[in-house]
Amino acid sequence: MFKLNIKIALRNLWKNKTSSFINVIGLAIGLAACLMLLVYVSYEWNFDKHGKNSANLYTVMTNIPGDDGKIFKTFEGSTTALGPLLKAEIPEIKHLARMNYLKKGLIAVGENSFKKLGKFAEPEILKLFDYEFIEGNAATAMQNPKSIIITKSTADALFGSTNVLNRVVRYQDMEDLTVSAVIKDLPDNTSATLKFDYLMPWAFYEMVDADAKSLNWGNFSYVTMFLLDSQADIVKVSEKVDKVVKTHLNQATQPYSIYQFNKLHLYGKFENGVSVGGDIEQIYLFVGLAFGILMIACINFMNMATAKSEKRAKEVGIKKTIGANRISLITQFLTESMVLTLAAVVLAIAMLEIFLPTFNQLLGIKMDIFYFSASSWAGILGIVLATGLIAGSYPAFYLSSFSPIQTLRKKIQGKGYFSISLRQVLVVGQFCFAILLIISTLVIYRQLQYVKNRPLGVNINALIEIPQEGALKDRYELYKEKLLRSGAITSINNTSTKLSHHNSNFLDIRWDGMTQERNLTIFNQVRAGYDFTKTNGIKLISGRDFSKQFASDTSAILISASAAKVMNLKNPIGETITIHEEKYNVVGLFDDYVWDTPYKSNSPMVVMFADKYTSFITMRLNTANSIQQNIEAVSKITKELNPAYPVEISFVDDVYAELLQKEKTLGILSNLFGGLAIFVSCLGLFGLVAYSAEQRTKEFGVRKVLGASVANLMQLLSVSFIKMIVVAIVIATPLSYYAMGKWLAKFEYHTEISWWIIPVAGFATLTMALITVSFQAYKSAKANPVDALKYE
Amino acid sequence: MIKIENLEKVYKTEEIETTALNGINLHVKEGEFVSIMGPSGCGKSTLLNVMGLLDKPESGSYKFVDTELLTLNDRERSNFRKRNMGFVFQNFNLIDELTVFENIELPLIYNKVPATERKKLVNEIIGRMNIVNRSGHFPQQLSGGQQQRVAVARALVTKPKLVLADEPTGNLDSTHGNEVMELLCELNETGTTIVMVTHSSHDASFSNRIINLKDGHVISEKINKGRTEELI
Repeated sequence: MFKLNIKIALRNLWKNKTSSFINVIGLAIGLAACLMLLVYVSYEWNFDKHGKNSANLYTVMTNIPGDDGKIFKTFEGSTTALGPLLKAEIPEIKHLARMNYLKKGLIAVGENSFKKLGKFAEPEILKLFDYEFIEGNAATAMQNPKSIIITKSTADALFGSTNVLNRVVRYQDMEDLTVSAVIKDLPDNTSATLKFDYLMPWAFYEMVDADAKSLNWGNFSYVTMFLLDSQADIVKVSEKVDKVVKTHLNQATQPYSIYQFNKLHLYGKFENGVSVGGDIEQIYLFVGLAFGILMIACINFMNMATAKSEKRAKEVGIKKTIGANRISLITQFLTESMVLTLAAVVLAIAMLEIFLPTFNQLLGIKMDIFYFSASSWAGILGIVLATGLIAGSYPAFYLSSFSPIQTLRKKIQGKGYFSISLRQVLVVGQFCFAILLIISTLVIYRQLQYVKNRPLGVNINALIEIPQEGALKDRYELYKEKLLRSGAITSINNTSTKLSHHNSNFLDIRWDGMTQERNLTIFNQVRAGYDFTKTNGIKLISGRDFSKQFASDTSAILISASAAKVMNLKNPIGETITIHEEKYNVVGLFDDYVWDTPYKSNSPMVVMFADKYTSFITMRLNTANSIQQNIEAVSKITKELNPAYPVEISFVDDVYAELLQKEKTLGILSNLFGGLAIFVSCLGLFGLVAYSAEQRTKEFGVRKVLGASVANLMQLLSVSFIKMIVVAIVIATPLSYYAMGKWLAKFEYHTEISWWIIPVAGFATLTMALITVSFQAYKSAKANPVDALKYE
Repeated sequence: MIKIENLEKVYKTEEIETTALNGINLHVKEGEFVSIMGPSGCGKSTLLNVMGLLDKPESGSYKFVDTELLTLNDRERSNFRKRNMGFVFQNFNLIDELTVFENIELPLIYNKVPATERKKLVNEIIGRMNIVNRSGHFPQQLSGGQQQRVAVARALVTKPKLVLADEPTGNLDSTHGNEVMELLCELNETGTTIVMVTHSSHDASFSNRIINLKDGHVISEKINKGRTEELI
C-alpha cells in the first residue's frame, strides 16, 4: 500500500515536472529562509545562556532618578563598595565578583603586540562562568595577582600556540604578567561586557588603578555579578539588597536593583527602572517573518495540490470504488506532502549551508548550524512534520471527501464553490503578507535614511579619532605640534570621551537665577582641550572656543544650546556656573550635536576645559592632501611618539555609522526576507497560472479556432489573478500603515509614511504579479490551437 | 441473490427535481447475467450506482442475500463493496500512474491480501486475460480493448460475487467490444453474477435477462431464450 502510494506520488511529480519543481523549490526557499531566521533567532535567544549557572546569574543595575521623581535611566553598573557588602550580608549569594567593563589594552610578547579587549575581575568570576580550560585550571588561574588568563585566539596571536603556561605577556607596556591559563574562545553571542580576550585578577587592578582599590560609592564604572542559590527567592534578595544599601549609605540617591543577567541582552530596555522589553521585539518580528515565509510556501503547496484536484479526483474515485476508505486516502496525500517536504528540507539545509557565511558577513556576526545537537534535529523534524501536515492537510481532506461517482462520471463539478474561494483566500493572504513586507521594507529604509541624513551637528568628514594612550598622554603638546607642522591635519583636539559616545552624567550643577532648590535634570559632561568646536566642526552660536590666549580658560566652560535652555539663560556668555562646588565661567555656546543615539535628542551638555587626563584625540585632516597621505603621516608620527602601541585610527563617519547598526541589521533582514517572500509568492502564482493554462488548453484551442486574439486569451487567464492581487493590496495597505506607524512612533526622530509609499508598493506588487502571470498566459495563448485540439 | 424493492432516487438542484428512480423492483438470482437498457436519462446508471453502493437512494430496500445494504454507514458500505463487488466502467478508469500489474493489484491491497498471494492472483488473471506481455505497461500505452481487459481483470481479481458493468463496450470498436462481452460471458459461466448497463441490443443479447427502464420505471422484462437455454 505505502509503496504503491509513494509510486503514484513520484510518478505524478515526474509527470508535472514544472509544477513539482516550483513546489519543491518554493518550499525549499521558504524553509531555508525560515531556518536561516531561526538560526539567527536562536543565536540571539541563547545570548549569555551558555553556562550551566546562567539562569541564576544576576548583575547589579543602577537606577538614575530623573527630575520628575521617576527613574530616568537604568544601566548595568555599580560601585566598588557594594560588592563586598552584598557578599557578606546576603547568604543567598553563593559567589560574587566585581569586575570592570571591557577595555582595550595593549598586550605584547616581544615585538608581537596587539590591542585586545581586557578585563579585570575578582577570582570568583571563574565560578560564575563555565570557562573551558585548555591549559591551567580554575583553582589556580587567578591566585597570583600578576597572572593573566588568555583565550585561545589571543594565545595563537601572541605565541602561535596554546601551550604557553607560565610564559610572560607584557601588559600596557608596563607590567609583565604570567600566563596562568588558556581558555577556549567565548561564544560569539556573549555580552560585550564579558567577551574579553584576556582576563586579569582584580588584585592586579588594585595595583594599577587607585579607584579600583578604594571602596567608594560614587564611581559607577564597575560591574558586580553574582550567582544566587537556585532556591533563592529573588524578591527577598532584592529587598535585602535595598536594606544593605540603605544601612550603609545615608543618601541612597542611586538605588540599586538586581537583574537576571542572561535577560539583559533581549530585555534590556528599562522604563522607570522596570524592564519593558527591548530587542526581544525584533526577535518576535523575525519569528513572525520566518513562519510567514514558510506559510507562503505552504500556501503555494496547498494551492497547487487543490488546483490539481480535478486530475487527482479520478484516482480518488477509482480507489474508493475498489475499496479504499477515507483514512487510507488521507494517509496517502499526507505521505505525499511529507515526502515533498522532506525533499525540500534537504534542499533547504543545503541552501542554508551555502548562504550562511554570506548571511553572517552581512550581519557581522558568527553563527553556526549545530548538526550534532539533538534539539536542532528535533526542531527540523518538527518543522518538516508541521509543514507537511499544514501543506498536505487541505488537499488530503478535500480530495478524500469526493464521492466516487461524482468524480468518475462527470469531471468534478466546478470543483465546488468552497475550493475556489479558499484558493483565492490563500492567494490573497499570501500577497497581503508580501505587500506588508514591501511597505515595511520601504518604511524601514526611509527611516534609516532619515536618521542618517539628520544633521549631526558634527562635521564627520575627514575627521579621525585615536585613543590617547601610552606616551601620548604625556607628550600631547609635542604630538600636536608635530602633526600640525606635517600639514597632514589642520586642527586637533583632545577629549575625555569619544565624540560619538559620552558616558559621564551628573546632577550637581548650579547657575545664576536658578529657581529650583537643586537641579533635577541630568547633565552630560565632557572634558576637552583647545579647539574643541573647531576640530570637530561643531557650530559655535556665540562666544568662543577654549584658547591658549586666555590663561583664565582653566576654569572656562562651554555649554550646549539645550543646556542654555534648561538654565533659561538668554545670553549665557560670561555667566558663572557651579559644578561639584567648582566655579566655571561660560565662554561659549554651541549647538547640540548627536552622540550615543541619533534617534533621540540628548541631555543638556557642558564641556569643561582639560589639558590633561583626556583619553581621545580627534583630528581634522588636511583636505589639500590625499587621505592616504594624511593617514600615513599621522601613523608615522603616532608610532614615533608612542612606539609601544599599535596605531589605531578610526574614521569618525564609520563610528557614527555604527550607531545605526541595529537598524541596519533590521534593514538588511527585512530587505532580504521581504524579497524572498515576494519571490516565493510569485513562484506560487506562476505555478497556479501555469496549471490553470494547462487545464484550459482545450478551451483556448476552441476559442482560438473561433477567432479569439492572443490579447483576449491573455486577459482571460490573467484577470482573475490580478483581481486577487488588487484585493490583497486593499487589505494590506491599511494594515501596514498602522503597523509601521506604530514602529515609527518608537523613535523620537522619525520620518512620516509618505503617501506615495502605498501606490509604489501596490504598483510594484501588481507589476511583478502581472509579469509572472502574463509570461505564462502569453505562452499558452500563442500555442498552436491544433495541438490543443488533437488530444482527447 | 439481490432483492430491490420500491427504490426511489431524486436528484435535486436549485431549480428542478428529477426523479431518476421511481419505485423500482428488481430481483437478480445468483449466477444470472442481467442487462439494463433504456434511453438516456432513464435512470439505468443511477440504478447501477445504487447497486454498487456508490450512491444512496431516498427510500426503498436493497437486500444482498439477506443483508439490508441501505442502512449501512459509509465504512460498512466501503467494506462490503470491496469484498463482494467488482466494477467495469465505460471509460476504463485505470490509474494512469500505475502499471497494469499495479492497477490489478490495488483492490487486493485494499482487501489486505498478503503480497505473495497477491502476486499469484494477479499473474493468474493476467494470464487469463491474455495481457501477460503488458503487465509492466502504463494504461496510456495500451489500446482501448486492452485497457478494458485490464479493467475487467481488476474487477475480477478479488473474485467478487457481483460484477457491475456500466457500458463496458461504449468506448470500444465492435471487435474489441465483442472480446470484452465474451470475457463477461465466460465469467458468468463460472458462476459470477453480472449486472450490465448498455445501450447496445447486441451486447444485451449476451445476457440471460433484459430489463427496460424508462423515466425511473421498469417498463418491460424479457428472458433471453437463446442464452437461457444454453445455460440450462
